Amino acid sequence: MTTSTDIETADKLSRRRARALPALAVIFLSQQAAYFSSYAEDGTRAVDHVKIAAWLVLSIVMLVVLTTGGFWFRPARIRALMDDEVTRANRTEAFRIGFLVTMIAAIGLYVLNLFEPLSGGEAIHIMMTAGLATALIRFGFLERRALKDG
Amino acid sequence: MADRLENRLLALRTERDLTQAALAELVGVSRKTINTVENGVFIPSTVLALKLARALGEPVEAIFSLPPEN
Repeated sequence: MTTSTDIETADKLSRRRARALPALAVIFLSQQAAYFSSYAEDGTRAVDHVKIAAWLVLSIVMLVVLTTGGFWFRPARIRALMDDEVTRANRTEAFRIGFLVTMIAAIGLYVLNLFEPLSGGEAIHIMMTAGLATALIRFGFLERRALKDG
Repeated sequence: MADRLENRLLALRTERDLTQAALAELVGVSRKTINTVENGVFIPSTVLALKLARALGEPVEAIFSLPPEN
């Protein structure tokens, strides 16, 4: 049974998520230069492995948050309210744009590779970062629009 | 094919002195869903449209309609 408190809590948490995800995406994007310095060097030092592993872990966490909606320790009824029809539609749209940007990045990298050879790691890093950050920003934008009164 | 759906949700809700949150509670969805349906930002599924109709005590076609054909 849904209560008014559940509705208010879901509303509050949805607003928080809508603000946090694009901010997280911008922070994620702004940190990319540090990771690419690891590829530019020979990438065999322990610190390089740590940097790249940190990026991979952060990417997986953000992907899981985007896919599941986050707030895993909240009651199931609150999470269900935060993952209702509108949210699922917004997520689908965010994934669609993210996929499109990933494909555009892949095409661009394929062409770039003809002139400037890239490692597999660099290419995957760029495609994942572009697709994930775009999906997070798009989802946040759509959620904010949905939450706007009037 | 029409990709717009006109609705009278706001009018019917205010006639009954219901807030968005109160209607959301009756239907079992978030306030955001009620808000986006009212604003025409989101076209609800058949199930949600029927739940809204039941909560407001109206037939679904009294709430939702296709825009007139040109």
